[in-house]
Amino acid sequence: MPSEPRASRDEKSQAVSTLGTAGTKRSARHLLKANAWFVFAFLYVPIVVLVVFSFNDSERVNVWQGLSARWYGEALGNTQVISALRVSLIVAISSTIVSTVLGTAVALALDRYRFKGRRALDGTVYLPIVIPDITMAVMLLVFFAEVFKLIDTIGPRFTLGVTTIALSHIAFNISFVAVVVRARLDQFDRTLEEAARDLYATPWRTFRRVTLPLIAPGIAAGALLALTLSLDDVVISAFTAGPGATTLPVYVFSSIRQGVTPELNAISTLMLTASITLVVASLALQRPRSTTP
Amino acid sequence: MSSAPSPDAGSSVPAVEMHGISKRFGDVVAVDGVDLQIGDGEFFALLGPSGCGKTTTLRMIAGLDIPSEGRLAIFGEEVASWPPDRRPVNTVFQAYALFPHMTVAQNIAFGLQMRGIRGPDADRQVAEATALVQLEGMEHRRPSQLSGGQQQRVALARALVNHPKVLLLDEPLGALDLKLRQEMQVELKALQREVGITFVFVTHDQEEALAMSDRVGVMSEGRLLQVGTPAEVYEHPANRFVADFIGRTNLLEGVTEGPAAVRLDAGAVVAAANELAVGSPAALSVRPEQVRLHRRSEAPAGAPCLDGVITDATYLGHAFVYTVAIGPTAGASGTHAGERAATITARSETGSAALAAGEPVSVSWSPEATTVVAD
Repeated sequence: MPSEPRASRDEKSQAVSTLGTAGTKRSARHLLKANAWFVFAFLYVPIVVLVVFSFNDSERVNVWQGLSARWYGEALGNTQVISALRVSLIVAISSTIVSTVLGTAVALALDRYRFKGRRALDGTVYLPIVIPDITMAVMLLVFFAEVFKLIDTIGPRFTLGVTTIALSHIAFNISFVAVVVRARLDQFDRTLEEAARDLYATPWRTFRRVTLPLIAPGIAAGALLALTLSLDDVVISAFTAGPGATTLPVYVFSSIRQGVTPELNAISTLMLTASITLVVASLALQRPRSTTP
Repeated sequence: MSSAPSPDAGSSVPAVEMHGISKRFGDVVAVDGVDLQIGDGEFFALLGPSGCGKTTTLRMIAGLDIPSEGRLAIFGEEVASWPPDRRPVNTVFQAYALFPHMTVAQNIAFGLQMRGIRGPDADRQVAEATALVQLEGMEHRRPSQLSGGQQQRVALARALVNHPKVLLLDEPLGALDLKLRQEMQVELKALQREVGITFVFVTHDQEEALAMSDRVGVMSEGRLLQVGTPAEVYEHPANRFVADFIGRTNLLEGVTEGPAAVRLDAGAVVAAANELAVGSPAALSVRPEQVRLHRRSEAPAGAPCLDGVITDATYLGHAFVYTVAIGPTAGASGTHAGERAATITARSETGSAALAAGEPVSVSWSPEATTVVAD
């Protein structure tokens, strides 16, 4: 066993040696190694700085005074933070539920049925993934303004708020859920449905007992992705949020104009932890299940 | 076309009855006007090369495909437009289609559950089916933890537990290796006798079809070409395709010279009963094991013989396979214009004297052993 890594390293250096002399070979290898470390540092040093300074006891962000969880306490005691967190959670959970149902239905329809306009829908359903956030935000704001004008003529007055944020999040989340669920459906063996039908299951029971359990990991992965995207969104939320309703990322963004505080470090660290947890869970669900005895 | 009832046909109502069944997918005609009756308790094989429409025919019986035209009855009931969950048939799928998220027992119990059979009654039936296919002790495993042969048994039990009136099997042995396949052939046949259910079996393997079934239906390009017992189909193929597809045969091209004779292109008039118009192009089908070879000097007097030369001799252990060139180039006397050379494959038991390549021989066969086939 211990000889194996060396053998593969020898093979690699042999392959590299065909490119040049021993000297260039060695320096190329060192450069590549250095580059890998540089990229790694580039990605993770800011995160480490953020996390470390969120435990800083000091009033000022850039002066280290000692380890403390003080700012976590301050953040959680701040009513503005708590109310923004509440809005974020309401928006995230409601938009996740709705977009998961609708996104799964879209994925199923695109996978199974040949209907008029299917190709057009197939191409455009993923559009929200590629169009810039800012475009989407402006688009939705204009849309809501027009719709409100229309509703106002009938009677009730609507304003931007939690509902409009949630609707906007549903609009982009449907696409992400549809993509993830469709990837799962691609691997789904349709003969299993035929077998269920052959064994006296009605179409609905075939879906409930065979299709749904087998694509459930894809649906769950899509839902977790939607939850993450909703919790992290700033641009679209900022445009569609009304005066009374701010999400946590939007609150953080607006607070930063008054300078970075250790409290923001603490909030950001909490959001980072939540995002990483959700993304890891989503990836774990998308991985093909290994057979365990 | 023979449509003799199966020897053990139980009732007068056929298990499956098809009249003018066709299936089109867009412009493609998958099944083209099939008429077929399968008797109660019969082991029936639908045989043909891939793409001949045999699987589509099976799927129409199951209800997984709906016929474009024609009538389809199962035990006298018109079912052509019924959904699969209402039909009294079950299917063993080609790749088994076991539910991967359920255990063996849950897979077998699925059909019972869907029909509302639960509790101790269902448990007992699942246990019986598990025992029938010898899978005791595997109940709590998942399909992914089973071998191919075991998965095959689960698929069988999952279908048979419902006591279907007809069991449909789509190339059920195709995914198994040769040895296991031969074992399962014997087992499946014994199982069919035990449960007494009509089996409709789709296969592209003619040996499998001949070995297992009471009757065989040969399909090609969407059409049912011939239906008969394995012996009928083998010994009296209805046309050139069937003769060529079922087993090995020599097809000697020629022209009919009357109801009892064919002039072969290789240059001889041989006795062969046929019902074709005089002068029709036809082929004489002679099975290799029916061909008798003699050293030219020892040719029996009086027997109709063709002269030829052995071009290849292959030793197979239990038999020799010879390739014999006949016709003008083989040194036959009295060559006429327009005659063409042909080769004949002959098989003989190893016990007889071996002949060597290059040896001049006479070839003969008994006229009853041949069939005249047209396109």
